[in-house]
Amino acid sequence: MSVFRKHKSIVDRAASDRVRHKKKIDKAIKESIKDVIAEESIIGQNGKKKIRIPVRGIKEYRFIFGNNQNNKTVGSGGQHSLKRGQKIGKGRANKGKGQGTGRGSNEKGEEYYDVEVSLEELAEYLFNDLELPDLEKKQFRFLNQKALRRKGYRFQGIRPRLSKKETIKRKIRRKKMAQKAGTYDPDSDERFPFHKNDLKYHHIKPKEKANSSAVIFFLMDVSGSMSQDRKFLARSFFFLLYQFLNHKYEKVEVVFLSHSTNAKRVSEDDFFKVGTSGGTIISSCLNLELDIIEKEFHPNTWNIYSFYCGDGENWNSDNKKSLELFKEIKKLSQLTGYCEINESYSGLSDDDGDSNFGASSWATFSAWKNEELENLWATLNPLCDNKFKKVMIGDVSHIWAAFKSLFGGKKDA
Amino acid sequence: MSNWTEADLMRWDEKILRIAEDLGLDWHPIDYEIIDYQEMLGAMAYTGLPTHYRHWSYGKEYERTHTLYNLGQTGLPYEMIINSNPSIAYLMRENALHIHILTMAHCVGHSDFFKNNRMFAHTDPNNIIDSFKSAAKYVRSLIEDPSIGIDSVERILDAAHSIKYQVPRVPGLKYKKHSELVELYQKKLQDDPDADIDLEKVPLAPQYNLLRFLAEHSKFLKEWERNLLLIVEESSKYFIPQAMTKVMNEGWACTIHYKIMNELNLPDNLHLPFIKLHNQVIRPHLGQVNPYHLGFKLFERLIEDTSFEEAKILREIHNDITFLRCYVDQDFLESMNYFSYSFKKDKKSITIDDISDGEGWEKVRNELINNVGLNRLPVVYVEELTKNNTLILKHEHDGRDLDLNYAKKVFENLEILWGDEVKILTEVENELWEF
Repeated sequence: MSVFRKHKSIVDRAASDRVRHKKKIDKAIKESIKDVIAEESIIGQNGKKKIRIPVRGIKEYRFIFGNNQNNKTVGSGGQHSLKRGQKIGKGRANKGKGQGTGRGSNEKGEEYYDVEVSLEELAEYLFNDLELPDLEKKQFRFLNQKALRRKGYRFQGIRPRLSKKETIKRKIRRKKMAQKAGTYDPDSDERFPFHKNDLKYHHIKPKEKANSSAVIFFLMDVSGSMSQDRKFLARSFFFLLYQFLNHKYEKVEVVFLSHSTNAKRVSEDDFFKVGTSGGTIISSCLNLELDIIEKEFHPNTWNIYSFYCGDGENWNSDNKKSLELFKEIKKLSQLTGYCEINESYSGLSDDDGDSNFGASSWATFSAWKNEELENLWATLNPLCDNKFKKVMIGDVSHIWAAFKSLFGGKKDA
Repeated sequence: MSNWTEADLMRWDEKILRIAEDLGLDWHPIDYEIIDYQEMLGAMAYTGLPTHYRHWSYGKEYERTHTLYNLGQTGLPYEMIINSNPSIAYLMRENALHIHILTMAHCVGHSDFFKNNRMFAHTDPNNIIDSFKSAAKYVRSLIEDPSIGIDSVERILDAAHSIKYQVPRVPGLKYKKHSELVELYQKKLQDDPDADIDLEKVPLAPQYNLLRFLAEHSKFLKEWERNLLLIVEESSKYFIPQAMTKVMNEGWACTIHYKIMNELNLPDNLHLPFIKLHNQVIRPHLGQVNPYHLGFKLFERLIEDTSFEEAKILREIHNDITFLRCYVDQDFLESMNYFSYSFKKDKKSITIDDISDGEGWEKVRNELINNVGLNRLPVVYVEELTKNNTLILKHEHDGRDLDLNYAKKVFENLEILWGDEVKILTEVENELWEF
């Protein structure tokens, strides 16, 4: 006679191992994300779109046979009639390997598989440790930051909110009462276990915090010298920035300005889509920004952030003027960022000490060497400090580093 | 949804066991756990073991089955049973009565196989659960130890898992420490002074138990790290006999459930769905070997040719390799329509190499044997441990090359465990290759 047991387990036994696995995936995603963020396909997408990220496999490796002719597989042919040499497939999904080997084939020793995430999740991974610097509490306006606060205790709640302290207090109280009543003898070896009624949980209440308001200026060079590639880098940078702000702050105003020899205020759509032509006068754009700040965003009320992105090939006569204007903007802003697209920049940094300026210091050096160039980059040097940061982008791989150096964060992990 | 009560299960169980007794089967008593599908997923992730040490790979396994299940790509198994005494088996609450009846009959077959097959003679069904339990407890204590922690534990387990199948493929073979081997070989030398034995060499003979060898000879592993290796080896030892008899074990269990079900005189409303389910279980999988199908058909034929009593003897003495080697012939392969195929680099396509006709069946049979159980995995052994503490491993090349990407990773893991220089020797496209 067999025994039948109604299994009643309260715990989900694989839970902790699943959490551990999830952590590994998260880590792998973070490691691969740098390669993904500048990919064309994610630029200009909305949050719903799923993005495939090739992630280095979280695999258990062991000795296996390779995919070669001597490693034959046997199978049943069912009702089919078969002939020797008959072709039955193109590539073989390797035994015991994950899907998606597109990259694996190029990079020896690495196995990749694809993880699908939405843009929102991507932002979550990317921006978790980053923040707008120096967000000051300015008057009025609202930049809602919702926070959950603990407030009191309840008898009902979810497990993670269990208050151990309150629970144990109640147990001790009950124990003392039992002692008094004589139903429990403290000197006996008998255990005095927890009772369901002992459990108390933290109560949590959402608390809305009225916060300061912020406005972000996006300034982009759309002159003729901005080649397809440069434009792509600039847009990627802004796109990332935009996602970052959208993700982190519920209410920020964003002003889009694009310029060639003169500047225009444009819509978000146009900003990311419009083509390029004409010469470059950066000051036109900076003037427009100051204008808008004066009219719409008083620095007493607003946290102002400005980010400029271009190829740095300004008309020489305009450089001095631009410097003055940048100075003025810097005075009004919490942070001003200047991002230069420069293909000759290799991304090498010889300065590991100061991560914020690691990237820029080398680039500065190279710009000084090439005195003829005398571009805006060198001109802006006197401005550089915590409130004015310069970054240089040579190719897509630098975008993330540049981004991180702008927004604090630790040096690219 | 469920059309049964526990009383139903007991009633059918009684009938099933009576028939099994009449068939002369001999099984461990069975404990059935009635669980829901989530618990089933949990049990599956840990290969049915009620306790198991923690490792993220089981979480991954859970997610994988869960996803497949949600996508409808896989059903949950009708049966899962553990080689313990009593045998522990699972019945999923959501399943209908005919599935339970079939599962119970099937489990009797497995339990009978566990108890009688030679490969399992050295397993310890009475204590296996406790042994896994204490391993789980030990691993937990390491994870909770503030001076060790989960990352260090995973580092060792990850590495150890990558060589967990590098154990002897002879069940019950006792691991001999170096000192024991020296004694043994000294005696051999006394008996035969001319024997080609170098007592200075470590190991004295190729050592197939990598985990034990590392635990014994490593100069750098800490005590708890050694213990982890032994825990992994211990659990491998439990799985090796099962891997060696997958085809036979499933084939036998299917044979038994089929025999029992036909003698149960099931009413039509149970018998018809049972037939459907049975056919589903033993259907051929296109381009693959379904062990249920292969095992069931082979036993069916052997019973036709000889008798059930004869088959009972076979289920005691064989493992998959010997079983297929002895009883698979051209007729049988033809009836299964088995063929072999491989990826051709030059043509960038998969083509058929051989089919089961007069010319090709022997090749197909040999490849089939290469594809069952542990034969699917390369053999790698310890060739030598040199004086300067270099560990030299060798792949026993049988014509099939290693996957070098994977081998590289395993190599790195071995370096973690060994802590000193490691070499792996193999052949790639007929050239010697060394990591």
